[in-house]
Amino acid sequence: MTIRRLLTLLACTATLAVAQLTPAAAADAKAQVKASLRLKWLPQTQFAGFYYALEKGYYKQEGIDLTINPGGPNLLTENLVATGADTFGLSGGSDSVMAAIDKGMPIVSVGVAHQITPFVFVTRKDGPVKTLKDFEGKKVTTWFTGANYVLFGMLGNEGIDRAKVDIQPQQVSVTPFVNGDIDVVTATWYNELNTIKGRMRADDLKYFVAEDYGITFPRDTLIVSRDTAAKQPQLVEGFLRASIRGWRDAMANPKEAVDIVMKTSPTLDRAHQEAMLTEAYRLMTSGKAKTEGLFTIDPVALQKAEEFLLKNNVLTKKVDVSVAFDDRFLKAIPMQDRLP
Amino acid sequence: MSARSHASRRTLVNGAIGIVGVIILWEAAARLLDLPVYVLPSVSRILAAIVAQHQLLWNAALMTMWEAIAGFFAGSAVGIVLAIALTMMPRARRVLLPMATALNSVPVVAYAPLILLWFGIGPTSKIVMVAIAVGFTVFLHALSGLDRVDRRAVDLMRSFGASPAAIIWRLRVPAAIPLTAAGMRVSTVRAMIVAIVTEMLGATGGLGWTIFQAVLQIDFVQVWAAIFVASAISLVFFGGVNMLEKRYVFWK
Amino acid sequence: MSAAAAALRPAAMSVLRGAAALLVVAALWEGLVIATGVRPYYLPRLSVILQSIAQVPDAYIAGFLRTASETLLGFSVGAVVGVFNGVVFSQSRRLREIIFPLFVISQTIPVIAFGAVVVLWFGNTILAKAVIAFYLTFFPVTVNTLNGIESVDPRQVDLLRSFGASRFKLMRQLLLPAALPQIFVALRLACTLSLLGAIAGEWFGDTVGLGVLLLQAMYNEQVVALWAAILVAGLLGTTFYGLVALAEKKFVFWKAEQT
Repeated sequence: MTIRRLLTLLACTATLAVAQLTPAAAADAKAQVKASLRLKWLPQTQFAGFYYALEKGYYKQEGIDLTINPGGPNLLTENLVATGADTFGLSGGSDSVMAAIDKGMPIVSVGVAHQITPFVFVTRKDGPVKTLKDFEGKKVTTWFTGANYVLFGMLGNEGIDRAKVDIQPQQVSVTPFVNGDIDVVTATWYNELNTIKGRMRADDLKYFVAEDYGITFPRDTLIVSRDTAAKQPQLVEGFLRASIRGWRDAMANPKEAVDIVMKTSPTLDRAHQEAMLTEAYRLMTSGKAKTEGLFTIDPVALQKAEEFLLKNNVLTKKVDVSVAFDDRFLKAIPMQDRLP
Repeated sequence: MSARSHASRRTLVNGAIGIVGVIILWEAAARLLDLPVYVLPSVSRILAAIVAQHQLLWNAALMTMWEAIAGFFAGSAVGIVLAIALTMMPRARRVLLPMATALNSVPVVAYAPLILLWFGIGPTSKIVMVAIAVGFTVFLHALSGLDRVDRRAVDLMRSFGASPAAIIWRLRVPAAIPLTAAGMRVSTVRAMIVAIVTEMLGATGGLGWTIFQAVLQIDFVQVWAAIFVASAISLVFFGGVNMLEKRYVFWK
Repeated sequence: MSAAAAALRPAAMSVLRGAAALLVVAALWEGLVIATGVRPYYLPRLSVILQSIAQVPDAYIAGFLRTASETLLGFSVGAVVGVFNGVVFSQSRRLREIIFPLFVISQTIPVIAFGAVVVLWFGNTILAKAVIAFYLTFFPVTVNTLNGIESVDPRQVDLLRSFGASRFKLMRQLLLPAALPQIFVALRLACTLSLLGAIAGEWFGDTVGLGVLLLQAMYNEQVVALWAAILVAGLLGTTFYGLVALAEKKFVFWKAEQT
């Protein structure tokens, strides 16, 4: 008797919950191709242009019914694009793309967002580290998800033995650096640096910039699967067109752009997101992008990155940069539409 | 005696059939369907990787095992002590039990970011996390076990003038051991998993950290290798506690 | 009328007692932080946390509902499957010996690794999280159902059998009811586990949910938001646990005693 009631109760609960599963009525299919964009991280204004384009319907105008899926610490964008789980990806960077291709993943990059290295190494101005050589024997934390290569490259170019530097994995929080337990911390110009500046005075900080030491690692790469690139070139072009438009308009209306991102994640800190947007755009409009447009692919910078990765055994064999990075789709869009 | 060993041998054989069956299916699927490595590598490749990387995996395993075992015993001890204490103070129990259950209802992983902020990314934070996870389970099981005593036995002892403490020690605690042991048994695997999950949010070593690194280095064979090793260790841990339980809790 | 009131009184009393305990804790929290001057980075004031929730209530409400539905779905299916497994295993020794070790091994696979695979297969749907919640639920329920059934006094089983009771009747009238206390112990444990599964599952690129709020707060180093997410998750967990405990009181109105 009681068993039956119990089972009925469970069944009711299950049915109620299952009812949540039924998908909403399908949007009218006006020749709209369903696609998804997988970001490399949680929603933030680093990706504002895409959210702006989505909100303003630019993708719809290109015939794309786009869903933006955030990334996160346990997701690898290259993997999700390669297996077809997502159509487009904004992935880690030139390093992760080439490493993925080296491992046989059938992906190709169709655009590069950040033209210069987004990482910067921060230390206290009044601390023991005054030059790159001073890194020796000090506690340096970095992320082993790409930033480490930048660090290795900088040390290598200056002839510093990286084994002499106490390189440790970086914590989630910048607190150890703020407290003085760490000598040098890795930050991105648009994210952690703002956090640090919020807790220490900007004047107290000293930066080690990769480009000053001959290292450039373009990051935030737009990727698609080889399949998509071959079979749906219009889709890729349309996506790029709408995204570039989204970014240009987002920068023309920064407050609105921040509003749109905050709508997806209301618990974000507004001031932080505004600073992030400005810095992210700076990275996107540096280097060749100024003259050749947003998301431009710079074969020179990428070739240097490839050689560096090969030398450091990240790649097991040469990766043909001209095959890994395909700018056909970008070039199909007129130049003036691509300029920032 | 021989009937017993015959039965236990048959159990092992049946268990082996199941496991071997799955392994064969897996290997066949990976090979016949020619699955790419990043979807599902074949068992043989994973085993080969384990052998090739055995030093790295062993070091990582040692760290995770240390975190899991230390946290397991710390948590179990605290859980048992708390359960006995609360049983001895029924009034405190009525107030504290709902609060403890409320605290337990926050899934352990929700505390991980906080614990990592407080204790850093070293092994200490993982031990704390495991202790919390194991402690609550053991606490609840022990509490339930201490309650499972026949009312009449309690009344009988009382009528003989036994003090509350004596009732606890002589009657309730022995009666609670099976359920407590069950709680500890269930917690062995959780201990490893909590340690690994916490490591994936921030660590300097261990199997969870290895998995995290391997995902980012797009080395999925390594991911599976670490998972296999973690599984194996959990099973050994589980089997060990199981064996101890069988030896010392010979009545059920 | 008075019977209903009498039935309600203990329930109302425990709710009141619970509320009182909460208020005491809240006051202690606020007072402690102010008194000891703990840095908000480690422990913010309760009032500050509640304020932050009040500023963006939609995010927390939406997260609460999303995570709740994922948990409920996985839990209920996991419970049903768990009981089913337990019953089947109690009847077929062979099946149990073949499949049980596989179950045990499956439980040793860390949820995180499983989560990545589930997201690949199911995308960021409620189903994906429910699958993880199910995965964490069914095993303890299976084990406890089996244990509960097997711990029934064999003499009682023989007695019913001697009256010509069929296997089915035996299960329904004696074994399952006798196993209920054990099953509910597992259900109480499983409700936390299923919530854990749902939250961990949301860490794989989801947009709404308590797990998402937790992750965002952690990586954006927003300690107040982190505590806010923990509190709401605790609220969900406690409510769920309370419901299961209430069900237990209704369906298991006797306490199992060793005779």
